[in-house]
Amino acid sequence: MMKIRTLYVIPGVLCLWFFVLGLSPIDPIAAVAANATPDLLADDDYNNNDGQDAEGVADPLEPWNRAVFVFNDKLYVWVLNPVKNVYSKALPRDVRGCIDNFVNNLASPIVLVNALLQGRFDDAWTVVERFGINTVLGVYGFGDPAASEFAMAPPSADFGQTLGRYRMGAGIYLYWPLFGPSNVRDTVGRVADYAVNPVNYVGLNSDEALGYSGTAFVNRMSVVPDAYADTKKYSLDPYVAIRQAYSDYRNARIRGGGTEGNQ
Amino acid sequence: MKVRTVVLLFLLSVCFCAVANAVESPMAQLKPTLKSLTDLLADEGLKGDAHRDERRSRIMKAIKVGFDFEEMSKRILGRTWQEISPEERERFTRQMIKLLENIYVGKLESYSGQQIEFQEERVKGKRAQVSTTIDNQGVKIPVHYVLNLTDSRWMVYDINIEGVSLVSNYREQFKSILRTDKFAGLMKVIEEKNRSFEKGKGSL
Repeated sequence: MMKIRTLYVIPGVLCLWFFVLGLSPIDPIAAVAANATPDLLADDDYNNNDGQDAEGVADPLEPWNRAVFVFNDKLYVWVLNPVKNVYSKALPRDVRGCIDNFVNNLASPIVLVNALLQGRFDDAWTVVERFGINTVLGVYGFGDPAASEFAMAPPSADFGQTLGRYRMGAGIYLYWPLFGPSNVRDTVGRVADYAVNPVNYVGLNSDEALGYSGTAFVNRMSVVPDAYADTKKYSLDPYVAIRQAYSDYRNARIRGGGTEGNQ
Repeated sequence: MKVRTVVLLFLLSVCFCAVANAVESPMAQLKPTLKSLTDLLADEGLKGDAHRDERRSRIMKAIKVGFDFEEMSKRILGRTWQEISPEERERFTRQMIKLLENIYVGKLESYSGQQIEFQEERVKGKRAQVSTTIDNQGVKIPVHYVLNLTDSRWMVYDINIEGVSLVSNYREQFKSILRTDKFAGLMKVIEEKNRSFEKGKGSL
């Protein structure tokens, strides 16, 4: 009697799970080649909607998000940017690039798992190959000969993207301290990816772990071009500019694969 | 009689063929525009603060050949365009074009010879999309231009960088400002932004 009941419970729970998360238990959005160009002519809202505007991002928490935005801005101007500048002066660009390679290499399992979940088997294999080449030939991942010598660009995949490909809606806009723009789906994704990050299982104590994360964060900031100051300079409302750009960018990632370089 | 008719028909059909092929492809029209821009930006004789104004006016002349700022302005304002008076439309277009000039010139100033590769083009009626990539320190960033055909000339009305459309980004910002401050408030914000560019810094 008990056995039969349990058998019914499991699919029942699964259905509830899918229902709550808004997932559809069918195939994910067909894996588009990473370099396929989007079709921007698909629908002409402007001419076909009698002048009705396209919908923006759902942001019912806007007052709260804006407050965090102001906080983050101060944090950036007074703490993060100065720290980044000092860090950039202390370490030459090549070294910072190597550290970035090291961090990205260690995060390979995250990309691998998500690429598999999305059915992107070619990309998943590329991740494995890149990990092998970079760890061995690139001396524990500090170099990236896979990209420079073997023309293997790093694919990128995260759990937020995976959820999106399984047609989970983005949910409302969330602006987090430090991490910046996100939404319900991508926040769930970040948490899930954190759990899969191998660095968490190596046995570092909390100081070492914080040191690693902090350094990786500042290092990344010092290596990618600074779009934030530009955004403030050229926007009339930087909060909305970032909100819309984040949403458009994530949607583009979900429609077509994506390589790390395009982050 | 018959020969004359045939010759006449032949000539007419040749004319039609010529007209039908008269419009070049969007990529063929966009390439020289972008090339003239990159050449201007690479011109050693125009670099530095001393030549700032001359550089700016020449960039603007080159851009206007292939970019339709009026169309961009209308699309960015969206539905509100229908709701404002002709004087307001004129004022808006003037300020908006100035804002777009400031934005484009400002962003182009940070261009430093990166390689632009044309990937493909797609045409759908009177609209087209030209996809390029720009090589930034080894990373290839996809940049798509969306164009409209006006009088046999393809003009860009939107730029899409990695999925982020310039027109829809500014349109959302405008919607937010219009909601709280209405059209008058929007004009104030645009005019103030233009003033801050004139002062030479842009607000930070």
